[in-house]
Amino acid sequence: MIALKALSKNRLKSFLIFLSITVAVMAIFLISAISGGIIGMYSKMIKTDGDIIITQKGISDTFFSNVDIALMDKIDKIENVSSSYAMIVGASPIGHIPIAAIYGTTQNHFSHYKLSSGVYPKEKEVILGENLSKQFKTKSIAIANKNFEISGTYSSEIGFEEGGVVMNIADAGTLFNRSASFILVSSNSPNAIDEIVKKISAMHSEIEVKTTQNFVKEYNQFKIIENSSFVISFLAFAMGLMGIASVMSMIVNSRKEEFGIMRALGKSRFFIIKNIFFETLVLSVVSYGVALVLSLAVLALIPHIEMLQGYVNGSLSASLALYVLASTIIMALLGSLIPAWIASKTDPILLINQGCA
Amino acid sequence: MIQVSNISHFYGNEQVLFDLTFEVQSGEFLFLGGESGSGKSTLLSILSTLLKPSSGELLLDGEAVQDIKDIDFFRQSKIGFVFQFHYLINYLNIYENIALAATDDKKQNINKILEELGILELSSRYPNEISGGQRQRVAVARALVNEPKIIFADEPTGSLDSKNSTIVYELLQDAQKKGTTVVVASHDTQIQNYATKIIRLKDGKIL
Repeated sequence: MIALKALSKNRLKSFLIFLSITVAVMAIFLISAISGGIIGMYSKMIKTDGDIIITQKGISDTFFSNVDIALMDKIDKIENVSSSYAMIVGASPIGHIPIAAIYGTTQNHFSHYKLSSGVYPKEKEVILGENLSKQFKTKSIAIANKNFEISGTYSSEIGFEEGGVVMNIADAGTLFNRSASFILVSSNSPNAIDEIVKKISAMHSEIEVKTTQNFVKEYNQFKIIENSSFVISFLAFAMGLMGIASVMSMIVNSRKEEFGIMRALGKSRFFIIKNIFFETLVLSVVSYGVALVLSLAVLALIPHIEMLQGYVNGSLSASLALYVLASTIIMALLGSLIPAWIASKTDPILLINQGCA
Repeated sequence: MIQVSNISHFYGNEQVLFDLTFEVQSGEFLFLGGESGSGKSTLLSILSTLLKPSSGELLLDGEAVQDIKDIDFFRQSKIGFVFQFHYLINYLNIYENIALAATDDKKQNINKILEELGILELSSRYPNEISGGQRQRVAVARALVNEPKIIFADEPTGSLDSKNSTIVYELLQDAQKKGTTVVVASHDTQIQNYATKIIRLKDGKIL
């Protein structure tokens, strides 16, 4: 087939188009996946461990929230409540690391962090996420000018936690001067959740009680991250796709002389369009495939880069992959077929002369 | 074979051909002469259906060109071209370049024509792997493959030395002797020795 022959014989040109499309598609994949990954990690942290979340009323960020931990005793007595735990979420420089997440939690939540070595922390002790632990060979670490013994290391599927520190909530309370950032409540009856929310809300006027699903939907920080990641992804997407369309358009325009010769030899417009269609299809699908594999490889590597402490993460959904595939093919075809169609309608001798110019 | 009636052509506001009328009989060898800018290449492009004239009528093999429904097939089956710069497709080998021009029923002629032109051994090479003279012979082979009724050649020897120019002229003369109408636009006056009819243009008009 002439289309494949054109690709294989013009190797440098084909390689440059391939490279342009691959880089554009990779940019789309990585930016979309990483920005989506940040939201995914945080919402997973909250969603997986409870049905209801209690935060301080009117606070835009859990970092600033302060809830009385004593509420837990009353909450545990509510019908259909199976368990509850409290957490303080903070961030602080740790040793030579400029910033790391700190999770102070009640002991009944320690099991959430899967121990890789050592034991769960007692007073004045911490366990380190595996990513963070690679950067400390000492037996103790300094957090906000206070020393903590390292009692073990843990692993977590959530990148934020892998790069963080877990300690007793009392120690975190001293560090961050609060009782708890939030309390998470689990229920043994999904139908009773709304009733539990009402009962907890009635306990204190300064608290806000929501199902974790609603919290994730309404959380201001998520909205900000979501909106900015949408804008960045959209721009990456638009620039990537426009890049693909421009590259294809330039390549087709540079082949006017060839189309003119073909028309002069009696080849139909359909023949030219068909060949450009196949060339574009082959190039865009192969480039997309390579971009997908490379993006998956980069996303798999990112959590293992110590410098990033596991805070950068991302995964590609099948829907995003399909959406990008369809968009790549459509934009590449638009970029190539429109100029090819215009060229095919031009008098052959003018095409030949334009190609020589 | 070729009937030209009142053909004029403009590029933008500039008129380059003025109301040309002439005829070429079947089997003739027409030499279109004239200086650069005289309009001979434009006229050749119009005669060969590669360019639509601004006005006037053109009949090829008895058919009015503007009424031909499948101009691509008409061009492929009845017209052969030889350009100054050969215009071979660089990613196709010599055989494939000729096959690109051939109609399905004429593909079997390719090797025979390559042999007649003494370039059969080049069939698997690419255009950038052969000499200028060999390329022009390939271009002639491509023009002959469909046994066209008319061959148009625009400065076919413009980039060749005299030895290779003679080879190309003789190939075109051979085609004419077999009944093909040949129209050549050229600066090269040597071609006049092969022509049966001469038309000279100056400033878009027939002298």
